[in-house]
This record gives sequence, structure tokens and C-alpha cells, in this order.
Amino acid sequence: MVIDIHVHPAFFEPINEDEKKEELRHDELNLHKNKTAPLQHFFNKMNCAKIDYAVLLPEDYSSQMNGEVLVSNEEIKKLVDMAPDRFIGFASVDPHDEKAAEKLEYAFSVLDLKGLKLHPSRQDFHPSDSFMDDIYDVCEKYDKPILFHAGLSFEPHTTSKNCRPLDFEDLAEKRKDLRICLAHFGWPWVRETAMLMLKYPNVYTDTGALYFDSAREFYTQMLTKDVPMTWIDRSLRHQVMFGTNDPRFEMIRMSEAIDGLGFRDSTIELIKGKNAIEFMRYDPSGRNS
Amino acid sequence: MIKIIPLQIMTDQYNQYFIITEDVKKAIAASGIRNGMVTVETKHTTTGITVNEALECLESDIDVFLKRLIPEDAPYSHCHMLPDYGSTGGNPTGHLKALLTGNHCHFPIIDGKMVAGGAQDIWFCEYDGPSQRTVNIIIEGSE
Repeated sequence: MVIDIHVHPAFFEPINEDEKKEELRHDELNLHKNKTAPLQHFFNKMNCAKIDYAVLLPEDYSSQMNGEVLVSNEEIKKLVDMAPDRFIGFASVDPHDEKAAEKLEYAFSVLDLKGLKLHPSRQDFHPSDSFMDDIYDVCEKYDKPILFHAGLSFEPHTTSKNCRPLDFEDLAEKRKDLRICLAHFGWPWVRETAMLMLKYPNVYTDTGALYFDSAREFYTQMLTKDVPMTWIDRSLRHQVMFGTNDPRFEMIRMSEAIDGLGFRDSTIELIKGKNAIEFMRYDPSGRNS
Repeated sequence: MIKIIPLQIMTDQYNQYFIITEDVKKAIAASGIRNGMVTVETKHTTTGITVNEALECLESDIDVFLKRLIPEDAPYSHCHMLPDYGSTGGNPTGHLKALLTGNHCHFPIIDGKMVAGGAQDIWFCEYDGPSQRTVNIIIEGSE
């Protein structure tokens, strides 16, 4: 089973009935010239990339947007309900919302979302800020993971502040039962990400990075040279998850490129699905791990 | 008189070929134009419009030929972040294949019928799918 742990559904047709909202999403995510996509088109892409399930990530920056949520937990729930055989939903909350922990509890217990997505730079918090504790407590209570944006961000007015892998070390050390993913391999600080994964088994990463060159060229650089392939194939093979960051990057070519890097077949199976199941503690095929 | 009739095509493969001759003939019939010209033009830069014989073996040969001429793993310049898009442009092979097959074709219309050779069919070629595509069928002439 192949799982893409990192998909942004902001431009899926069923949640884009409002043109102004669609325009807002283009501006706030810095994604342009892409049309809204019928679900069938996205499924066609998944099929070409041989992806069985996509993890859908919302964005709640409401404290910076006069209370408006860019992509809401309810919209994620709507999409999952439309295609439970292809989609897995994560939640988002704005940490500066005083009801964030309460909303997250609702997302896990009522909406049945399987994890939390946070963006420390865009949402203006540090992973070790004390006001984050209530949110982390809810994740631990429900045994749900957090996928943090890490490294470079292409969203507007968003620096890499608070998103360097080392910014997450105190959290990884303090909460060893909390599974966290430093997305995009924390690029360009990929060796910091590798260092954290080596020391902390609760730290994961995903492969949603394609900042230069073709998928094949960039992955060869990032996953076999910047981080030597043997480091992943021998030591970190249970903590790297396949993610594409669709629609910013290229689902089909990234999926093919991973397969051709030279990892053991068993490592590819871990990266492309089994690690995501372990990270989420959720097997969409019905077998809870 | 000129009429533009869009033909929507949702492709489901990375590279894929469709014979759209009948769609064009239906558009001509619906237009009411009896004598003139039809232009079939794709609105995209990683697709092609070409005229060839509608044979399975030829489709295979064309596909294999284009892939041999324009391999996926060659070093292309069009593989980088595109600031205007906020996303990666990594489809140089689609653009180059489109270059070879062109983006349009023309046929005359006489007495309401498209005039074509017996082996001539109109192909729509997808080179960067899956995607949602639009082909404009542009009919000019008199009723």
C-alpha cells in the first residue's frame, strides 16, 4: 500500500464553490495558474503515481485572517467522506485561538481526523512555546501525530523562522510519546533532520521537497548525497515517509524517482506506506497497527 | 461567420492519444456552417494536435518514437521552481513533444462536410497528464 502523507487539497473542486475563497487560497498559499481539480482528476494522478491513499492537510491561520479558515477541518472531513477509500484527513488549528485545544479534540473525536498539521512560522509559534502544551496534550490523549512544516516555506510572508529542525529537538526530547514529522525533510537542513531521527525514534520526516532540478535529480542529491543513501537504508528507514506536497510539487515524477534511487525494496515499502501507518497508528485498509 | 466550440477532454494517463475526428464532424454539423474551414487547436502547451491514420500500431510507434527522441531522464533546463506558479516546472518532455506534433490542424468544409483523406484522422495527444484539457474547434465560413 502506498500512502502520500503530504497533500494540500485547497484546490479540490468540491470545496471551491466560492470564487473569492479560491482566489484567497491562491494568494495565501502562493500557488497560481492551477485550476480547481475534480476529484476524478486527482484520482487519475494518484493512479499514475501508484498511490493508494492521500493524507489531506488543512490550513487554519484564522488569527491572522480575521477569523477565516483557509482550509477547514470540516472541509477535510467532507472530502474524506466523499472518498474514504482514497483519502485520510488531518486537522489544523490555529495555536493562537484560545479554543484551539477544544477544536482539536472535536476534530479527533467527532470528525475522526487522524493527525494534526501545524506550521510554526506561518502560525507564529515556536514548537517549545508553553502555550502549545494544551494542543500537544490533546494529541497524546488521542494518540495522534503532528506533521510540522519544517525548513523552507513558499507561503507568502513566511520565513523559515521556528522551522529549522533543531527548533523541534526540545519537543522531541520532552514528549517522547508524541510522534512528530518534520516535513519536507527540513530542507535545506536535511542533516539536522537526520540527526534528530537518529536520536529520537518519535521523529519522522517526509519527502515533500523538490526545490531545484527534476524530481530524479533533486532526490538523488537530497536522499543519496546530502543524506547518504546508506544512512536512510540502514538507520532511518522506519522514519522517512513518502510525501509529495501536491500541488506545489510533482506527484507522479516524485513517486517514480523514489523507486529508482537504489533503496532496498523493503525500504521502499516502508517509505511509501508502512511508515505512514506506524506514524498515524492507523491502517486505512482496516488493520490498526 | 466564426464559431468556437470547446471540446473538453479529461485524460487519465501521463501520455495518451485520442482520436477526435467524430467530435470535430459533430461540431461542424452543429455549427450550421456549410462552406469554409475548420481549425482544431489545443489550448495547452504540453499537448498536441496532429493528423495521422487511426491505427493502434501507429499510436504505439508514435509514442515509442517520441519517448526515444525525448527521454524523461535527460538533463533539461525546464526543471525548477517557477515563481509565477509557486510550484515546480518539471514537464520539459511534454513541451518538447508538443513542439513536434504542433498545436493545431485545418480542414476545408464543403457542403457541410469536413473534407479529409481516407486515412486522415485528427489526434489529440496528451504529453503531461493526467489533466483536464480543452480543444477549440474553430469553424469559419458561410451558412
